[in-house]
Amino acid sequence: MSDDDTMAARGRGRRGFLKSGLLGGAALAAGSLTARAEGDPAITEIKDWNRYPGEGVDARPYGTPSQFESEVVRRNVPWLTAESISSVNFTPLHELDGIITPNGLCFERHHAGIAEIDPAEHRLMINGMVDTPLVFTMADLMRFPRENRVYFLECAANSGMEWRGAQLNGCQFTHGMVHCVMYTGVPLKYLLEEAGIKSGAAWLLPEGADASAMTRSVPLDKGLEDCLVAFKMNGEALRPEQGYPLRLVVPGWEGNMWVKWLRRIEVGDKPWAQREETSKYTDLLKGGKTRMHTWEMEVKSVITSPSPQKPIVHGRGRTVIAGLAWSGLGAIDRVDVTIDGGMNWHTARLDGPSFPKALHRFYYEFDWDGSDLLLQSRAIDDQGYVQPTKQELRAARGPNSIYHNNGIQSWHVNAEGAVENVEVS
Amino acid sequence: MWKFPEGKAAVLAAAIVLSSGTAASAQDDAGDAAAGEAVFRACAACHAVGEGATNRVGPQLNALFGRTAGGADDYAYSDALVEAGEGGMVWNHETLSTYIADPRGTVPGTKMAFGGIKDDQDMADLLAYLAGFSEGDAAPDDAEASADDEPESGDAAAEAAPAVETESNAAVPVDQRPGPGDHGNFGIGRPASEEEIAAWDIDVRPDGKGLPVGSGTVLDGEQVYFDQCATCHGDFGEGLGRWPVLAGGMGTLEDDRPEKTVGSFWPHVSTVYDYVRRTMPFGNARSLSDDEVYAVTAYVLYLNDIVRDEEFELSNENLADIELPNAGNFIADDRFEEDHYAEKDPCMSDCLDAPAEITMRAQVLDVTPDSGDEGSGGGAID
Repeated sequence: MSDDDTMAARGRGRRGFLKSGLLGGAALAAGSLTARAEGDPAITEIKDWNRYPGEGVDARPYGTPSQFESEVVRRNVPWLTAESISSVNFTPLHELDGIITPNGLCFERHHAGIAEIDPAEHRLMINGMVDTPLVFTMADLMRFPRENRVYFLECAANSGMEWRGAQLNGCQFTHGMVHCVMYTGVPLKYLLEEAGIKSGAAWLLPEGADASAMTRSVPLDKGLEDCLVAFKMNGEALRPEQGYPLRLVVPGWEGNMWVKWLRRIEVGDKPWAQREETSKYTDLLKGGKTRMHTWEMEVKSVITSPSPQKPIVHGRGRTVIAGLAWSGLGAIDRVDVTIDGGMNWHTARLDGPSFPKALHRFYYEFDWDGSDLLLQSRAIDDQGYVQPTKQELRAARGPNSIYHNNGIQSWHVNAEGAVENVEVS
Repeated sequence: MWKFPEGKAAVLAAAIVLSSGTAASAQDDAGDAAAGEAVFRACAACHAVGEGATNRVGPQLNALFGRTAGGADDYAYSDALVEAGEGGMVWNHETLSTYIADPRGTVPGTKMAFGGIKDDQDMADLLAYLAGFSEGDAAPDDAEASADDEPESGDAAAEAAPAVETESNAAVPVDQRPGPGDHGNFGIGRPASEEEIAAWDIDVRPDGKGLPVGSGTVLDGEQVYFDQCATCHGDFGEGLGRWPVLAGGMGTLEDDRPEKTVGSFWPHVSTVYDYVRRTMPFGNARSLSDDEVYAVTAYVLYLNDIVRDEEFELSNENLADIELPNAGNFIADDRFEEDHYAEKDPCMSDCLDAPAEITMRAQVLDVTPDSGDEGSGGGAID
């Protein structure tokens, strides 16, 4: 889009806004009319918080969000699972901004509930094809060189409920099995080298200490390349639901492999074919074949606002589209946004830090004329992969692949600003 | 007519007295409700308690004390438990202790296929926890809880609160701490002992590496299965509610709704053994013996017609030789060779032949939480 087009759009939008204000159609516009006549009570009245002192410094020893943000919480979809012990909930992406997810809002996925582990009783064992099988205490781990890195974590089943078609109204539910934090931990390489990797070793089996004793086979090369054994997220200890006191970080790869409550890593020469890499987290294709070891999370994006839980409430005029993009293969190079269902695309503005295998924030600002919108975003990563459409994915994989749905998401915005999850031709 | 087994009652009364005498730090004679919350995790796979608790696989457990057996509203009990209630069975410390210790031995025919809580302290703690959700008379009978009559047992108290091993260096004088190890680059950590490795390294590979010596037959497995598995997975592996289906589904992988079971989908028998051994039964992991795991694995194979002889014995000798029908249909990841990932410069303007039309709407299904008319959508996370 040229600068001229932008200016023309702005001109139309400004006139449009004045017109809607004069008609007094939108609630917000009505409020501003009152304010002009008698003065806005938010300004003219002296508020309690302006007169009386508030709580002292120790009222909230561990700070919590404002009471007015009480709706900003993780939520689940009860019909998805048999019960909440082995279940999932979703990050409220529509309420967040930037690229870092607050610790208390990172989605949860447990296979046997949250293990509550006393770090004094936690051990990490390295065994198998090593020269010296080793045991580390948490205090031991703190003596290795540490690194700080920002990564997204996405469940392989994120957007899986949308594989067959539009189903859930809210990007919290369609895309909320992703979060992004800064981890502090020890490169796994140091721990493996401390034990001494024997020749012929090619695979790792990380194992959790919880009642599901989660296990996944991870190629040794990945473990040596960029995996971390992490004990901090966003500067503080891991939350119990994120694996306190220790979790494996497997950058760019599906969340199930990021074993929480990590207690053991076995070194071997073949994969173990564990339950979560054979019967689950494998992708059943048309024709009956099933892909396994589909580790990388492919390039993906979603518009987080407006979205079904975050409608446009300000009426026509200047409007901000905000969204997230990420790729398990690298950094995001570009995000395009369309407001007409894919007829014309506009390159969005990437803002904030850009780390490989981390969330990226994008914005596209435009003047809404009040007509129906069909919003989509399309991400391109630095490896040249372009986010595919859902139709392309279904054509290639059939109706039952479910996992690794990185297809382009469509939102319909109607004249009132309400937003619905749709699919388009 | 339900009769409380006298032998069990006597043993139980003794157990409660013992536990009340030994639980030195407990708030009351009945046990420690906080500790009981942890014990309840073994129950939470099927039962809910607390605010908003509803019936699930098992009935909700609010106001349990004083409730007639089989008396929770809207729960489909077994005939056996309803009859027990009609015969006068009311849930209190005594009846619950006996029943939860051995549900099927206490009320033959009950649906509650739970192996039972055998530890007296766990039982006392659990009941203290549950009593917190019952109003009124939830205290144990005086006759059963006469802790005053029993001397404190020092040994038992020590057992009930074992000393926790703390991080090694904290309590060790500086001159007695181990120096750097002679392994690795940093000399951090200590060698793992063979016993420690054996305690944790229980993983099994498709080639049989890691299988413990042992065996079990289909018939042995049927008993284990009915006691430990059928509550969630159904008598025939059909899966109750949204619990996993274990059997059947042959030839459905190309259907609109494929049924992925051990027989129809899983590639390796070793995975069944490994998974059951490390996590099942749900809520009481690592409680089956190695032979019981062989037996129940054999039974799951039998449910899937992989083996057809009830006398069939599965063991570390033959497990890796059994091939599952779908094993040959797993392929390596070739996603990035799909057409849509071919190098391309995506279209930016006039990209469609006609204006985009809506082809599908989420509101048609309306399965979003709080959408008002919340139903059950397609797909599942498991």
